[in-house]
Amino acid sequence: MIGLAVAPLVSVWTYRRWLYLLLGGALFFPFLLAALVALSMLRFRTIADAPAGLASPIQLTALLIATVLVAATAALRPVAALQAQVARTLLGGRLAGEPAARPTGSGTRLRAMVWLATHFVVGFAVSLATMVLLTETGLLTISPVLSDVETQLTPLPGDNRWLGPPLAFLMLVAFGYVLALVGAGLARLAPPLLGPSAADRLAAAQARAENLTERNRIAAELHDSIGHVLSVVTLQAGTAARVMDSDPEFTRQALSTIAEQTRAATEELDHVLGVLREERPSSTPQRSLSDLATLVDGARAAGVDLTVEQTGELDTVPAVVSRAAYRVVQEALTNALRYGSGQVDVSVCVRTDRIVVHTTNPVARTPRRPTRRTKGGHGLRGIEERVSLLGGTVHAGLEADQWQLEVTIPWKEPG
Amino acid sequence: MITVALVDDEPLVRAGLRALIDAEEGMGVVGETDDGSGVLDVVRRTQPDLVLMDIRMPNMDGIQATRLLLEGLSTPPRIIVVTTFENDDYVYGALRAGASGFLLKRSRPEDILTAIRIVHLGESVLFPAAIRSLAESSPSATTTASRAVASLTDRESATLRLVARGLSNSEIAGEQIVSPETVKTHVSNVLAKLGARDRTQAVIAAYDAGLVRPGGDG
Repeated sequence: MIGLAVAPLVSVWTYRRWLYLLLGGALFFPFLLAALVALSMLRFRTIADAPAGLASPIQLTALLIATVLVAATAALRPVAALQAQVARTLLGGRLAGEPAARPTGSGTRLRAMVWLATHFVVGFAVSLATMVLLTETGLLTISPVLSDVETQLTPLPGDNRWLGPPLAFLMLVAFGYVLALVGAGLARLAPPLLGPSAADRLAAAQARAENLTERNRIAAELHDSIGHVLSVVTLQAGTAARVMDSDPEFTRQALSTIAEQTRAATEELDHVLGVLREERPSSTPQRSLSDLATLVDGARAAGVDLTVEQTGELDTVPAVVSRAAYRVVQEALTNALRYGSGQVDVSVCVRTDRIVVHTTNPVARTPRRPTRRTKGGHGLRGIEERVSLLGGTVHAGLEADQWQLEVTIPWKEPG
Repeated sequence: MITVALVDDEPLVRAGLRALIDAEEGMGVVGETDDGSGVLDVVRRTQPDLVLMDIRMPNMDGIQATRLLLEGLSTPPRIIVVTTFENDDYVYGALRAGASGFLLKRSRPEDILTAIRIVHLGESVLFPAAIRSLAESSPSATTTASRAVASLTDRESATLRLVARGLSNSEIAGEQIVSPETVKTHVSNVLAKLGARDRTQAVIAAYDAGLVRPGGDG
């Protein structure tokens, strides 16, 4: 309870946002000063003649002009880009997780201008408040040792000068809460003004979809090309093995052909894979059902209590299906460790034209605290996607305290 | 000797097939061309029993070339289409166009030679299971095929179903408890009624007409 109350004061975001606001205020100052000077020059001979006071018409007009000038600078693309960047870093909040707004979006420029003006004006106010607060609390703190005359300067009631320090402390705390509030409000305001609009999101999604489609095309072309080379190589090798004695010339030629063709194909693979890669390549080889034993041993060593039942010929499972099945078992074991009671029953059943992987784990009454999700794991979502692509089905769900996962993947019987 | 002509745009494929077939007793390559457009010419010149036809070629593809041969000649050779990928939509199209069977380029050499012999003899269908799964993924039921199939007698339909399962004449004779000659007669009648050049075409017609269902027993 106390933790909750004190949280805004000790959160790093409160102070980061304070910094953000001070920055805004500091940058606003030249604009304000320039406007003030210019106006005064127009109205009066020298600045000295200009009326002082915080809310005189000259100063309010100057404030307005300065705000407009500030907004105008945000119309420049580099400025808009920079302010978005700074806001993400110092404001945090939801903005940090969003994609960037399109610089050419229709409302983007206007929104950016409004933001910069808001940032600077609010920042200026906060900067002024900070200055005043620091002065006052400073005075209050040392008030016990001030003379009577100097005490007049402080906002102390009467001459209870010993109230000074505690009052200063309260003022600081109060200011801390106000800062946190203003900062949070600003962070809340940022996404609508600096973040992507619905149209921006749609454009980003469409661009991504087009990009992925093109990647798919490149991948398909690659498969075609490699498939062709592999067929040629298979034919050359098979024939050469057969006619080695009767036609040694062909055999010799075939061997160098095979070497050239496969070299060229691997180069092409190298090149295209470099282009297509989005994730960092894994340093471990791709795992399939033949690695199941290692996976199981590892899980048992980590404390999972599991039974494994395997039927059918693993050799007859196509490589891509075998890899997918491995991931299913891996996911089940990971989940058992993370969320379950640490006990799993796994069954892998290979039939003539499909494989069925079934895992059951009892759900823990009090699940262990989930560890932070490591990057690169796709989890159930990825498995569903892959299985669906392979023409299989996934059934996952809770049944009477047991988490059941059943994955079926078919394939064509070899002709 | 079985004479073979090779039609493929990849010289390495032709070289491989040539070396394989020439080294085999009872077979030999008599002609080659690197595009479908040259097929009529090479067949007229060399009169092969059988043509190994690639599907993807630059100017004229294997399907068109197959049609060209079958329509342009009074006694065309048997055609086996040779393809890289089994999943190609083209494969079933080539079969429909009149090819007697198909081969994958990656087939084992002995399988290639066996395929040539089977198609040349015409006694059984090449890769019936593969044809079945190709039929599965293709739209079917043309009305001409349906009408033709409807004209078959019960015996003839039963024989056709067994042919579609890949049985040879002697195997069908065993199934139906009749002599192989009787089976041959039935098969000839079926081919004639369906207007099919060979057993493979009859099977395609059967799938097209829905007489045999790819998924079921047929």
